[in-house]
Amino acid sequence: MNYDVIVIGAGNGGLAAAATCAKAGLSTLLLEKHNIPGGAASSFVRGRFEFDPSLHELCEVGTQDKLGTVDEIFNRIGIDIDWCSHPSTFRLIVPAKEGDTDAFVNEDGVRVTVDARMPNGYEAFAKKLDELVPGSYDSCMAAFDLSIRMNALFDATEDLSLLPGTIKDLPDVMRLVSHSLKDLLDTLGMPKKAQDIFCTYWSYMGAPASIFDSIYLTVIGSYVKFGSVVPRNRSHAISIAIDKAIRDYGGDIWYNSEVTKVITKNGKPAGVVINGEKEVHGKYIICNAVPNVAWSELFDLKDVPEKQLRMLNARKVACSLSTVYIGLNKSKEELGLKDYSIFIAPDSDSDKQYEAAQKFFNGYCIINCVNNIIPDCSPEGTTQLFLTTITFGDSMKGIKPQDYKKFKTEVAKDMIETCEKALNISITPYIEEIEIALPPTFARYLNTPWGTPYGYMLEKWDSIIPRTVQAVMDRPFDNFFFCGASQQRGDGYSSAYFTGEQAAKEIIMMENKKGGK
Amino acid sequence: MASKIKAMKATKFVSLMLDRQKRFKAADAQLPEMPDNAMALARALHPKRQYLKVAAVTDMAADTKSFTLVPDPERGTKELAYFGAGKYLTVFETIEGMPVTRAYSISSSPKESLEGKYVLTIKLVEGGLVSRYIFDNWTEGTAVEVSAPAGNFEYQPLRDAKNVICIAGGSGITPFVSMAKAIADGDEDFEMILLYGSRNYDNIVFRDELEEIAASCDKIKVVHVLSDDKKCRRKGIEKGFITAELIKKYAPENEKYSVFICGPQQMYDFVDKELETLNLEKKYIRHEMFGEFHNPQTQEDYPAGIPETVRITVTIQDKTYIIKGSSSDSVMQILEKNGLSAPARCRSGECGFCHSHLISGKVYVPKHLEKRRLADFEFNCIHPCCSFPLTDLEINVPVAK
Repeated sequence: MNYDVIVIGAGNGGLAAAATCAKAGLSTLLLEKHNIPGGAASSFVRGRFEFDPSLHELCEVGTQDKLGTVDEIFNRIGIDIDWCSHPSTFRLIVPAKEGDTDAFVNEDGVRVTVDARMPNGYEAFAKKLDELVPGSYDSCMAAFDLSIRMNALFDATEDLSLLPGTIKDLPDVMRLVSHSLKDLLDTLGMPKKAQDIFCTYWSYMGAPASIFDSIYLTVIGSYVKFGSVVPRNRSHAISIAIDKAIRDYGGDIWYNSEVTKVITKNGKPAGVVINGEKEVHGKYIICNAVPNVAWSELFDLKDVPEKQLRMLNARKVACSLSTVYIGLNKSKEELGLKDYSIFIAPDSDSDKQYEAAQKFFNGYCIINCVNNIIPDCSPEGTTQLFLTTITFGDSMKGIKPQDYKKFKTEVAKDMIETCEKALNISITPYIEEIEIALPPTFARYLNTPWGTPYGYMLEKWDSIIPRTVQAVMDRPFDNFFFCGASQQRGDGYSSAYFTGEQAAKEIIMMENKKGGK
Repeated sequence: MASKIKAMKATKFVSLMLDRQKRFKAADAQLPEMPDNAMALARALHPKRQYLKVAAVTDMAADTKSFTLVPDPERGTKELAYFGAGKYLTVFETIEGMPVTRAYSISSSPKESLEGKYVLTIKLVEGGLVSRYIFDNWTEGTAVEVSAPAGNFEYQPLRDAKNVICIAGGSGITPFVSMAKAIADGDEDFEMILLYGSRNYDNIVFRDELEEIAASCDKIKVVHVLSDDKKCRRKGIEKGFITAELIKKYAPENEKYSVFICGPQQMYDFVDKELETLNLEKKYIRHEMFGEFHNPQTQEDYPAGIPETVRITVTIQDKTYIIKGSSSDSVMQILEKNGLSAPARCRSGECGFCHSHLISGKVYVPKHLEKRRLADFEFNCIHPCCSFPLTDLEINVPVAK
C-alpha cells in the first residue's frame, strides 16, 4: 500500500494535517491508536452527563467581524462549529491566609486578598483592572497594544518568507520576544498586583510569568479580545467534524490502528508498520506523537539523527494536568455557581502558583461551570463542573498501581474541598457522577511523558519565536514533520491545529515544486 | 511607553537564538529515560492485551464454574493489571473461525491480582455460544487472551453513600464477591448489605465463601433471598423476590444509602420498578451493564415492517466485505457470524470501544443502551454492539486488535 502522506496520530495537529493534505488532493492516510479522534479534544459519557477531557476554553475563535486563527483554519478545512461564548474572561480568587493585612470579605462572604471578575474587551478589561488596582490602566492598554502588534509577527510566522520584513517593521516587538512577560510588565510599569491578575491564564501555557516570554501577551490579548468559547456539542463535535471532512476529501482514517514502527529506507522514513503487522508506505510522514515517543518507540536508534536526541535531553517536559469531572444533581443556581471560569490560587503570584504545583495537591484550581457557557449541557436541575490543577509528572513518584485509586480520590477530595471553601458553596453531597484524571490518565490517552498536554516547556530560549525561526534547522528529515503541542507554538488547541496545517502546507509546497500535483 | 521599551536590550534575541542551538549541541546524545512513572502507571493499569493461562477450573454449582487465570510470561504477560473491585475482563476467543468476545466481571479480589491471579466465574447460558465453548475447552493450561480490566461499576466514596445495598441476581454475584473481598482486605471502605437472589439454598454460588468473608468482617452482611425454595427454614433467609419492602427492611434507618444492582435483565426490570417507590436520588442507584442484548423486536419503540435479512457493506481498514445477517442480531453479532470482528469490550453500548461510522442505512438502538456522544448523532456514528440494522447498511468499522 502506498500513500502520499501518512499522518501518525489523530490529535488536533494530526487532524488538521490530514484534512489539509487530503483537501489538496494528496492521497492521505491518518492512523490513530484509539477508537475516536481528537486526543484531548474528545468527550466521554457518564450517566446523564457528557464530559470534555480538556477543552474547557478555546482561544483564537473570533467573531463574525474578525476571525481568529481557529476559525481561519476551520474555514480552510471546511467545517462549521456551533460555538458558545461567555461575556467575561475569568474570575481570580485568592483566599486570604492568616495574617494577610490586605484581606477583605467578598460577595460570597469569603475572606480573600484578590477577587477579580474580568470582562471581555481590551478597554473594559483595563478599566476593571484599574478599578481593582488603581494606576494600572495605561500599562494594561499599552500591553494590549503590543499584543496586537505581536499578532502581526505571529501572522508572519505562517509564511516564513515574510518574517524578515516583519521583524524589520516591528523592532520593538522583536526586542520583547527575548524578555520574560514579567520583565515586560515591569518595564511598562504595571503594578505588581495588577500583573498577577493580568497573568492569570499562565497555566494555559504551562509556565509562569517570569519564565514565559512576552509572546504570551498574544494569548492574553486573544482571550480578552474574543472571549473564550467552547463547542456547543462538546469537543467530540470538532474532532468528528474534521474526521468527516478528511473522508469527504478522499482521505482514509483508520482507528484502532497504532503505528508501532516507522520503516526507513536508506536512513529516511519511508512508511509505517501498523499494530505490529501491516505495512503501509508513504512519501511523507506527519507525526503527531511527541518526539520522545517517536524516537524511543517508533524508530531504530541508529536511524535517529543525533541532534534529535540532544534536543530531547536539552528540553524539559512541560507540566501536566489533573482534572476532576463532576455531574451534580442540583442546578447552578441552587449551588450558587455564577461564573464560567474561576481560578482559585493559593497566592496571586504566578511564580508562587507554579512552585506550589510541584506537589499534590497545591490549592491551585481552575473551576469551569459548564452550564454557565452551555446552559443546556446537562439535564434540567443538574450542573457540570470541571476542576483542574497543574501537576508535575514526578509528583506521582512512588505511587504503585494498587495505591493509585485511593490517591486519585484523595486528590479529588482536596480539590473539591478547596473549591467549596473558596466559593463558600457545597458540592460534595450532590455528586451524581465523578471521574478523576491524573497524569497517568492523560499519559494513557495522549501517550506523552508525564501525560503532558503541553509538550516541552516554553522556556525563554526555547520559546515560540526561536522555535519558529529555527524550525527548518531542527527538522529531522526532509520528508518527516512533527505537529502538535511539542512544536513551534507550544500547547493549545489553536497551536496544535496550526502546526498540523503548517506541516501539511510544507508538503503541498514541496509537491508543487516537484511539479507533481 | 515606547521609550521604555527601546531601553530593553534588542540584541538579546540574537544571542537567545544562538544559545538555543548551543544548548542542543551541548546536550547528551543518548536516548533519555521517560522522565517519570505516569506513563508506566498508565501502561501497567491498561495493557492492550493480557496473555494468560488457565491454572484451575472449579465447579461452583451445577451450571457454574470458576476459572483461575494466571499470567503467561512466554506469551509476554509477566504481571496482571491491578483493578478496582467491580471491573470486568473481556475475553477474546475464536470459535470455529468466528472471532467472539464476552465481558465477565472479575470475582477475585484486587489483592489477588497482585499475587498473579484473576478468577472469572461463568454461568453456562442456555444456548449460549461462548459460555458453552469455555466450559468445553478451558482446562488447566489453556491459553487465554483477555483485555485490561474495564468498566465503571465500582464504589466511589466521593459519590456513593457509606452504606451500599448490593442487589445480586444469579451470576450477577461476581462483582460483589470481589467488592466484599476488597472490603475485607481494606482496599475498599463501605458497609455492604448484600441482598442475593437465588432459586434455592442448595444452588447458591459462593455461599460458603460469602459466609466466611461476612464472618471475618463486620462491614459485610449477606442476606439470601430465595425465589423457589419453600422448604428452607434457615435463620436469616428471605423468601420471594427483592422488593422495596425488603430493601427498606435492611437499609439503614435515617441514613443515606446507595443501591448497586447486578443481574439478568428481568431482575433489573423488577427491581427498578420497586426502587421507584423508594424515591431515591438517581445518584444513589447504579446498575452494572446490561450485557449482550437480543431480539430488539420485543421493544415497544421498535418499528414495524423491518426485513428479516439485511445486507451490510463493511469496510475495515483497506478491505471491504459484503455480508448478510438477521435484523434480530446486532451489527457486531452479524460481523462475527460472518467471520469478521469489530473492536469489542463491554458489548452493552457503554464503553464506546466499537465506535464506528454509519455511511448509509438505518439502525435501531434500544433506549436503555443509548450511551453515544452528542456529536455521534449528527455525524452518524454508532456503537455496533447495540445497534440493530433496520435496512441494508454501509459501515466503516475500526480493525479489532
